[in-house]
Amino acid sequence: MFKSAALNIQNCPRPYRSALVFFILCLGFTATVFALTSIENNTIAAYEKVAPSVVNITTMDCDPEFFWCATPAESGSGSGVVLRADGLIVTNNHVISNAKKITVALSDGRRLDAHVLASAVADDFAVLKVDPGEKTLRAISLGNSDKLRIGERVLAVGNPFGLGQTLTAGIVSMTNRTVKDGGKIMRDLIQTDAPINPGNSGGALINSEGELIGICTAILSPTGSSIRIGFAIPVNRMKEVVPGLINPWPRIIGWGVAALLLALFLKRIYRRPEATSPGAL
Amino acid sequence: MFPKRTFRLTLLVAFVFSFQIAYALTEDEKNNIDLYQALAPGVVNITSTVVEHDFFFNVIPRQGTGSGAIIDQRGYILTNNHVIEDAHKLEVTLSTGKKYTAKLIGSDPDTDLAVVKIDVPKEKLTVIPFGLSGNLKVGQKSIAIGNPFGLGQTLTTGVISSIGRTMRSSTGSLVEDIIQTDASINPGNSGGPLIDSSGHLIGITTAIFSPTGASVGIGFAIPVDTAKRVVNDLIEKGYYSYPYLGATLMNLFPDIASALKLPVTSGALVVDVTPRGPADRAGLRGGNRRAQIGNNIVIVGGDVVVSVNGKPVQDADAAIREVRKLRPGDKIELGIVRWDGSKGTITVTLGEKPRDVRAKQP
Repeated sequence: MFKSAALNIQNCPRPYRSALVFFILCLGFTATVFALTSIENNTIAAYEKVAPSVVNITTMDCDPEFFWCATPAESGSGSGVVLRADGLIVTNNHVISNAKKITVALSDGRRLDAHVLASAVADDFAVLKVDPGEKTLRAISLGNSDKLRIGERVLAVGNPFGLGQTLTAGIVSMTNRTVKDGGKIMRDLIQTDAPINPGNSGGALINSEGELIGICTAILSPTGSSIRIGFAIPVNRMKEVVPGLINPWPRIIGWGVAALLLALFLKRIYRRPEATSPGAL
Repeated sequence: MFPKRTFRLTLLVAFVFSFQIAYALTEDEKNNIDLYQALAPGVVNITSTVVEHDFFFNVIPRQGTGSGAIIDQRGYILTNNHVIEDAHKLEVTLSTGKKYTAKLIGSDPDTDLAVVKIDVPKEKLTVIPFGLSGNLKVGQKSIAIGNPFGLGQTLTTGVISSIGRTMRSSTGSLVEDIIQTDASINPGNSGGPLIDSSGHLIGITTAIFSPTGASVGIGFAIPVDTAKRVVNDLIEKGYYSYPYLGATLMNLFPDIASALKLPVTSGALVVDVTPRGPADRAGLRGGNRRAQIGNNIVIVGGDVVVSVNGKPVQDADAAIREVRKLRPGDKIELGIVRWDGSKGTITVTLGEKPRDVRAKQP
C-alpha cells in the first residue's frame, strides 16, 4: 500500500535522490524551528491583520485646581479602532469625554492630533477624526456579532494602563449580557474572559478571523483591574449607531419628513371649519 | 459467519473510533498536557529565608517563595535575583516533593537574574532547554510554570501580548526586549520559566503590572537571549562582567548644544572620566568647568559622543546600550565632537566594570 507513496527513495533516479533527502531534511528542520500549533498560527495571523487598525488614544484635560488650564495634564489613555482609511476612528465616549486635547498614536509610531466628530453618550460611542496625510490608515474589517457563539475564541487588542499595544486572548463567556453601571444600563454586551483593563476601553475585540466583533467597553471588578470579566459592545450595534454619527443628514431629513407628514395629517383632522360653509349663527 | 473483509473493516473502524473517544482533546490541549508532563519536573520551588532583626536584635526569619528552572544537568537552576537576594538559606523543592539546600552560584542584579545549584544526581534532573527569544511573534502561546503565592506547582497559559518592551531593574539599569504575556503571573511565579509551544525556555517570568498586586493579565518575562548572555559568566565567575568605559555621560539637549555653540544638536555629553580608566587612557576628555544654561548648571568642556562603532547615538542611553552589547577587552570606536568644535574618533579598549564587593554566601 505504501509502495505507491510519492516519497519512495528507492525508486527515485539516482541524481534526484540526494536532492530529495536534502529536501526532506529541510522540511524536518523547518518543522522543528517553526513548530507552532495551528491555533498559534491563527492567533498570530489575526493579530497581524488588525494590529495596524488599533490605535492608542491619549487624552489631556484640565486640572480642576487651575483656573486657566494653561497646561493640560496627560490624564487618560484608551484605545480606538480605525473605521475608515481617511482617518475615522471609533472609540468609547467615556475615553474622550472631558478631554481638552486628544492625541492618537498609530501602531507605526506616528502621533496625530484628533478631534471629536460626534458622540453617542447613551451607546458610549464616539467618532474621532485624524488627518493621516499621504500615508492612509488601515481600516479594520467588520464581522458579524450576531453569529458569535459562547466558547468561541476571541482576542482583545488595546492599550491597557497606557503600556502600549497589547494582545490578550480568551473566549466568549456570554452574549446578550445586560450590565448596570451606576444609573446607566448597557444591554446586549458580549462578555469575555480575555484580560481587559483600564486603557483597553475603545479597543478591538476580534474573532479568530481577525474581524472586529466588539468594542471593549467595561469590566466588572472589585479592584478596578481585570479579573477576567470584561464586556464589549457588539459590532452590530456599532453598525447601527455609527453611520448616523458620521453622517446625520439622512436621519435629520427622515425626521423632518416624518414631522411634516404628521403636521399635514393633524391639519387634515383639525381642519378649521370653512368660512363659506353654512351653519349656525 | 460474515466475510473476513467485513470483519477487518469493522475492526479498523472500531479502532479509529476508539482513538477519537479516548483522546477527544484538541491539538492545543494535547500540546499543553505534553509540555506540562515533559517540563514540570524541570521547574522547582525556591524558598528563601531572610534573617532580620527587630529593635531588640531578636532574630526574625522571614520566608519568601519563588520559582526556578533547571538549566543544566549539573544541577544549575536559573531564577530571579530578587527571589534569592539577601537570603541566608535557600531551599529548593523539586516537583517530586524532595527538598534540597541550594547554594548561590552567582547573581546579576542589573538583569535580575541569578543561578543557584543543588547537588542531585543528573538522572534525577529534567533540564528545560534554552530556546530563542529573538524571533518570537505576538500571538504565539506562552506557558508559565511556577509557584504562585507558594501554593505549589501551577501551570498557566496565555499568549504573548507584546515584545520589545523595556523595564528598569531594581538597580536602575534598563532590561530590553521584555516579553509581555497574558498568562496569569502572580507573586511566587518570579524566576519560573516561560515556555513556548515546542517546549523551549523563552523567558524568565519576573514582574507584573498590577494595581492590586495579583495578576490582571499583564506579566513580564526577561528574554532568554539576555539570560543566555549572562548565565555562563554567573556559573564560571559568580557575576557578569559588564564592559566599562569609565566615563559619565549625560544627554546633550539642543538648548545646551546651542548655548555651547557646538556643531551638533544631540549626543552624549561626557561630564566626567574616571582617572586612569579606559576612556581616560584613550584620551576622551571630561568636563572641567561649570556653566549655567537656562535653569541648569551643566559641567561643560567635555567631548560629545555622537557615534559608537559608526552607529549614530542620539543620547546617553543609546550610547550605553551600544557599549553594553560588547564584552570587556573589546575595542570600541567613539565618534566625538570636541569642545572647540573639531571632530574625531577615539578607540577605547573596554575594561571590566568594577563591582561593589559583596559578601558571597558560603
